Amino acid sequence: MCSTNFSFKTASIFFICIICLSGCSVKNNQAVNATGDYSAPEKKILAAVLPLHNLSGTPVPLEDIRQRLISSFKNQGLDILPEDVLEKFIVKHRIRYVGGIDGLTAQDFRFETGADAVLVSSVELYNDTSPPKIALTCRLVSTGNDPKVLWIDSVALAGDDSVGILQLSLIEDPRELLEKAVLQISTSFGEYLADKSSSVANQRDIIKFWPKVFYRSPILEPEWKYTVAVLPFLNLSDRRYAGEILALNFVEQMIPQKNFSVIEPGMVRQVFLQQRIIMEDGISFADVHVLFSKLNVDLILAGKVFDYQDYQGTSGTAKVDFSAVAVERQSGDVVWACQSHNTGDYGVFFFDWGKIHTAHRIASEMVASALETLAE
Amino acid sequence: MIRVINFANLKKLVVFSLILFFFGCTPGSSLTYYHDPNMDFAAIRSVAIMPFENLTREPNAAERVRDVFANSLLSTGAVYVIPLGEVARGIARAGILNPAVPSMEEIGKFAGIIRVDAVITGTVTEYGEVRSGNASANIISMNVQMIEVQALRIVWTASATKGGISIWDRLLGAGGKPMNEVTMKAVTDVLDKLFI
Repeated sequence: MCSTNFSFKTASIFFICIICLSGCSVKNNQAVNATGDYSAPEKKILAAVLPLHNLSGTPVPLEDIRQRLISSFKNQGLDILPEDVLEKFIVKHRIRYVGGIDGLTAQDFRFETGADAVLVSSVELYNDTSPPKIALTCRLVSTGNDPKVLWIDSVALAGDDSVGILQLSLIEDPRELLEKAVLQISTSFGEYLADKSSSVANQRDIIKFWPKVFYRSPILEPEWKYTVAVLPFLNLSDRRYAGEILALNFVEQMIPQKNFSVIEPGMVRQVFLQQRIIMEDGISFADVHVLFSKLNVDLILAGKVFDYQDYQGTSGTAKVDFSAVAVERQSGDVVWACQSHNTGDYGVFFFDWGKIHTAHRIASEMVASALETLAE
Repeated sequence: MIRVINFANLKKLVVFSLILFFFGCTPGSSLTYYHDPNMDFAAIRSVAIMPFENLTREPNAAERVRDVFANSLLSTGAVYVIPLGEVARGIARAGILNPAVPSMEEIGKFAGIIRVDAVITGTVTEYGEVRSGNASANIISMNVQMIEVQALRIVWTASATKGGISIWDRLLGAGGKPMNEVTMKAVTDVLDKLFI
């Protein structure tokens, strides 16, 4: 009888352990200070919040998200350009592309509206099917003669990222998830304004996301700071705008690194339009020479996306597969190339422990690991 | 009369049968190649990889395999691989109608424009999932050839098949290895035969 009780107790403890472990299944390395409270910011920036750029390929409540972003960024200490002034400016200059700003528009913004910066936001994923999923990228670009990316960050969340014990932490309401995403990204901006580094250091699984193949030329100097233009990737996947999303991911991961100074993607796009460059099968040397001279950069980074796959509901696997190359200005040669692919459930064996639910987060990890090989 | 069973012979028979059984169920994996013994491969410093011919039902199979092949070859550090966009420009300028299977004349013209020492062409004959009963697995079958542009002759060819349904896939119902992994293996095997 005694032994039966003991077995029962052991089994109960084991069962509780399993429940607890599954509840803590997914690490969320993007977690930041949830309150988002910071002391008075050291800088005051007047920013124009552009309409959201929809890269999700699906219908998205863009205005709702934009208003939430405005409200949240205001709370962090960002001065927002009045709506009527922005609208007049957009109408006057016939601005239709809101995924970035070119040099001329940046100058006009500064001298006509007085805005110091422009907040460019992209929605990369919006899925309101339970559990919902969302991915947002925001960047602050300075206006004036030489537009620069001052700050960039992204957030990708799924309702079942961390379900908790008995699924008590499962988020089923897309608005709740959106609120969480907006808070995270605005908190990150608050940290930038307060000149604070991220409260939680990103713990990347370098080995898991390491590129499958890579090449790095010895002519790359680890100590140098390279100015880089990231071109939109050639999209061979089924997902619309996957090329732009991955290019944006590279920009985001390169900006914080001391080895790179990245050109605003809107300026790269402008040169493409002005020079009528169409990349049919990747970059050619003729295109590269034009881009080097027009953008005055040291490196040009381009690539191809073969898979960029998110999934709906609870069952499925996010998947990313891409290759990238970098061409150097002086030698005119390919100095870096990599090939990387991964899935959200790679290395996951029990209770979805460690599963990544969005392609955006997989891509972020993969890009960060790939850049380790470039900046080493 | 009492018949005595020879257990030693029985054991041998069982072991032999098992070996035959396991070998019969191994997944498709083969590699054949040709390496020109008179060719100095160290003289080849730059190569252009032409678009691979796609004989599969997967629309992007050839492009995927070509990309993996190009990056893997570049990562060896032995040769410089011309960017695929530059290859596309060269094809357009040389006016090659079917770049997957160019004629020697077209290759000569193309190499003059792009300035490469060798041109690699290839074919993907199988790419994707194969099924047998309840079992399924990923498989790839590819072949490549290198043409030296000075003499316009084939100096290296290799073909590889990787993946397929293994005994474990049949017994346990596993879906085989991911397509990317199978592709990497096939490409690595092919390249190993270039640098022998």
